[in-house]
Amino acid sequence: MKESRLMLVQYATAVAAVALVTVHLIMQGVIYPYTTAISYNNILSVYSNGWYAIFLEVLLVVVLVHGFNGVRIILNEFRQTKPWTTWVNAGTILAIIVTVAYGTRTVILAVFGGAPA
Amino acid sequence: MTEVKLVVQRFDPFKDVKPRMMEYAIPGREGMTVLDALLYARDYLDHSIALRFSCRQASCGSCGMKINGRPRLACYTQVAELGGGKVLAQPMDNFPIIKDLVTDLESFFEKHREMMPYLIRADAQEMEKPSAEYMMKPEELEKVLQFTYCIKCGLCTSSCPTVATDSKFPGPQALAQAYRYIVDPRDEGGEKRLELLDEAHGVWRCHFAGSCSFVCPKGVDPALGIQLLRRYVMSGKAPRRDGEGAKVWTAPVTTAPQK
Repeated sequence: MKESRLMLVQYATAVAAVALVTVHLIMQGVIYPYTTAISYNNILSVYSNGWYAIFLEVLLVVVLVHGFNGVRIILNEFRQTKPWTTWVNAGTILAIIVTVAYGTRTVILAVFGGAPA
Repeated sequence: MTEVKLVVQRFDPFKDVKPRMMEYAIPGREGMTVLDALLYARDYLDHSIALRFSCRQASCGSCGMKINGRPRLACYTQVAELGGGKVLAQPMDNFPIIKDLVTDLESFFEKHREMMPYLIRADAQEMEKPSAEYMMKPEELEKVLQFTYCIKCGLCTSSCPTVATDSKFPGPQALAQAYRYIVDPRDEGGEKRLELLDEAHGVWRCHFAGSCSFVCPKGVDPALGIQLLRRYVMSGKAPRRDGEGAKVWTAPVTTAPQK
């Protein structure tokens, strides 16, 4: 993929993340008081709302893509050899896939009542 | 004016392990530039000081160096404007040192060449043998004018934090020149240059620190050029020609009469 396309993704996810994180913080800090918002039962109850579960999944993808793409950019500035760039790019894709998959697993489990103890 | 304390960073990569500072007492005079002080030191106190200079009027860009920690032209910096105290002269950052204040600008010029800093025409024959003079409108000239003032002194590149960490980054000078030719209505090679810039170590690595524009002795704003350039790199298309730019020519070029 061209660097301009990757940067477009980076800018788009940055804008999206600002909006999504703002909503998320309002939900977790204002609508629900922060002290109760992070309790296990409260978190599970949040996922009972399908729309909010979708919102959290989108937030997960946006933040992870933005974060790992940002790390890719930083790492590519460290060294400028072709193998390094190849490994960093491959590692970024792998890291995004693994973390999104793991986060999605958590979302799905939460939607269905939480992870088994 | 009283005596000027000039401190020069000395380093010969073939002899020295690390740079050392040497101090020289220079008799000051009104209007004395740092270059004047350095030349006095070289001519009367220590012939071994290596420095590069030529025009002495901020036109050639040869005497770029770090003066009191900031990249400047030695010929364009008066000792008096440095506010008293010692005058510290060091080689520019981000370039290999050849000796003392002389740096190797080969990579700098190589990156400049990579940007194809000349008019590219689709009609190769016309480019080789122009039949007329290419015209541009005043408003089109306005877009490129400040970038044509670049004297390739390397100060912007020496102050760039990205160049310091990314050796493949073209640097502010080369990118500003790429912009200068891409927006030139007489040029038709914009897409070629855009393709060159749209890669992992290209135009996107600029952090917009703005130090390049801050240190430019000719008032060029490379940081602005780079930000404007990104718009075209993102679209992959050079500015649209309206047919009145490259195609408007003056009367055919005639050869001078033979004497």
